[in-house]
Amino acid sequence: MSNNTSTIANNIDTHDQILHFPKDGNPYLAANEWLIWASSQDEGGLPDVELGHSSLRKILVPFSWWIEHHHEADIQAKAKNGQIAVWFAADDDILKHADIIEEGKKVWPLVAAHFPIFRDGRSFSTAVLLRDRLQWEGEIRAIGDVLIDQLLQGARVGFDSFALRPDQNLDVALKQFDLFSVTTQNSWRGKRASLQAH
Amino acid sequence: MYKYDHIDQTLVNQRVAQFRDQVARRLNGTLAEEEFRPLRLQNGLYHQRHAYMLRVAIPYGLFNSKQLRTMALIAEKYDRGYGHFTTRQNIQYNWVTLEDTPDILAELAKVEMHAIQTSGNCIRNITSDAFAGVAADEYVDPRPVCELLRQWSTLHPEFAHLPRKFKFAINGAKEDRTILLCHDVGIELKKNKDINNGELTADIYAGGGMGRTPILGSLIKQNLPWHLLPSYLTALLRVYNRFGRRDNLYKARIKILVKALSPEEFARQVEGEWLHIKDGDDNFTQAEWDRVAKHFTKPAYKSLPALTNEQVLNLANESDKSTQQSFARWLERNVKPHQIPGYASVILSLKPHGTVAPGDATTAQMLAIADLADQYSFGELRATHEQNLVLADVKQSKLFELWQEAKKQKVALPNVGLLTDIIACPGGDFCSLANAKSLPIAKAIQERFDDLDYLFDLGDISLNISGCINSCGHHHVGNIGVLGVDKDGEEWYQVTLGGEQGNAAAIGKVIGPSFYADEIPDVMSNIINTYVAQRNEGESFIQTYQRLGVTPFKEAAYKDKNEKAKKKELPESKAAAGDAS
Repeated sequence: MSNNTSTIANNIDTHDQILHFPKDGNPYLAANEWLIWASSQDEGGLPDVELGHSSLRKILVPFSWWIEHHHEADIQAKAKNGQIAVWFAADDDILKHADIIEEGKKVWPLVAAHFPIFRDGRSFSTAVLLRDRLQWEGEIRAIGDVLIDQLLQGARVGFDSFALRPDQNLDVALKQFDLFSVTTQNSWRGKRASLQAH
Repeated sequence: MYKYDHIDQTLVNQRVAQFRDQVARRLNGTLAEEEFRPLRLQNGLYHQRHAYMLRVAIPYGLFNSKQLRTMALIAEKYDRGYGHFTTRQNIQYNWVTLEDTPDILAELAKVEMHAIQTSGNCIRNITSDAFAGVAADEYVDPRPVCELLRQWSTLHPEFAHLPRKFKFAINGAKEDRTILLCHDVGIELKKNKDINNGELTADIYAGGGMGRTPILGSLIKQNLPWHLLPSYLTALLRVYNRFGRRDNLYKARIKILVKALSPEEFARQVEGEWLHIKDGDDNFTQAEWDRVAKHFTKPAYKSLPALTNEQVLNLANESDKSTQQSFARWLERNVKPHQIPGYASVILSLKPHGTVAPGDATTAQMLAIADLADQYSFGELRATHEQNLVLADVKQSKLFELWQEAKKQKVALPNVGLLTDIIACPGGDFCSLANAKSLPIAKAIQERFDDLDYLFDLGDISLNISGCINSCGHHHVGNIGVLGVDKDGEEWYQVTLGGEQGNAAAIGKVIGPSFYADEIPDVMSNIINTYVAQRNEGESFIQTYQRLGVTPFKEAAYKDKNEKAKKKELPESKAAAGDAS
């Protein structure tokens, strides 16, 4: 029990359901399978997901932890099994580790970018760089202090799934994506409406 | 003037709906105040000392009479019958309610206006030259670029939560009327036949700003072709978004990053980022330029003879000498040269002596000024950085008539550029950030220097007052700056000298310990008297200051304080002497 509690304290809380908004599809909710492990390498090893939440079978580990530990045999085994992916902290300089991310493309089922607080926009740039510069084509999940009113921006910079903070109303969240039918900048989802000729 | 197309209009309407929903969630308690705060700020809604304040954007300062009438009616219906024009070409309403705000935004949307990004940690309302398109010294009309960048920055998703606010200014005239170097990014537009085949290019200055750490921006990019602005600015903002400090509010502006890295290193990093996106499809297309630029063609000017001020005076044909002198003064101070012969630009002063606040206009004044714009200036107006309004296209032959009308509205005081044309923030009377009041200081100085003859004799002097270190009154660039400071719960005022806006922009220097509010008019008199006593023929205040340095002005400023201190010391020293004897 005490083991369980400390494991939870080292995790980033989220809804049981994840809001998915595929690039060419409609938003929908699906069960969350990923435990978001916040622990640094100094605070103990990878939690055993089988002992934790029964529904959470897979672990998002901090990118910095991955850099240190991904050569270890059990990590490699889990990764090959599709059970491990990484999340980028807001201050991770992903461009400095482009080679590791390139390798990661082969094994990570998704990546995530963290919002330590909703008004910290660094992960918006992280998502843009992942999409445009590093050609990450898989899922990018927003995690952390993810609130309803940041969904639109997130969706436009390259996020296609959102682990909302547990207190957020998912019904309201689902309605966010059709608030605007026009844009005045290009985004991951499409060209700016203002390019259209008149 | 730019006219919304269906995309602009749809965007603004949808933004109103989005904000209406956010307000509803705030009011029903499902959105916490802490989380609502950045959302309302990105829609210009502050919670001030007494009430909500709504800051409405006037992009690059340009608006029309229809919009002004809406501004006036909003002041009447939702506020207390006045609006406040700010140093950043916005208008603020000081007494609105949260519940009314969505309706106000809906009314604004009907006349192609909004409050998007007038506050918050995002790209703010872009400012420019109030005389854009008409100034005699203009070499590039900056308005198409301003409008293209307004659109590019509106609800930009990647830069919605920057480390701090982000301000652009754009200039295209010989004389800089934008304080370009005091902006996070200053864009200087140029057309030079030797550069890029005479196409429009931009020089980019970054890292300027006022606030508690005033710094002038540094040139980081030269000769950028205009259409590459979006990719270059994206690179610049991306570097700032990723590496700007977020641990300390006071060190989060881009100026701190540029300073910490050095302008050269910052420019190198931006260049490195830009390399990857410079050829992408974020850049502006010629079709976009054409669509926007067609709105900034010249109005239907008539072919008229250019008149000298003397000819304009003669046309007035006034026998009353005092009236003639007043009109002559107005011509000299409030009327500016125009590109087109026979036309002039007129500044309506929102600084009549004894008013409540520099930059305030009542509903009645706004409605009357809208009529003047229709009658005399193709229905267009501009808001200036100095918190005045401009009718940009007035026939010289109509100046006397306009002056008489403007007088009736009390917006014809010929004090433009003079000591009482004070720039001041709303200060502690309204603003919850302020440490001290600024409006009573402005009023007291206007009362002290109420003599127009004297003001005219003093000539150009800029006086800027801020109620706190955030410097909304731009005190750092005033020839004389006054800054409200808080010391142990008491309001004090620090004086700076030597600041300057324009091409020779400079940050003023603090002269020493601060003063009580009631000392400030005397301090001003002492500083001004020093100038009058020491000036050479034809020398302006700032020129005299630059020639003599700060010492004589500083001594004069503290003269009364020192004398008082001596008087205080005297009895004590006598007593001490008595003891000794």
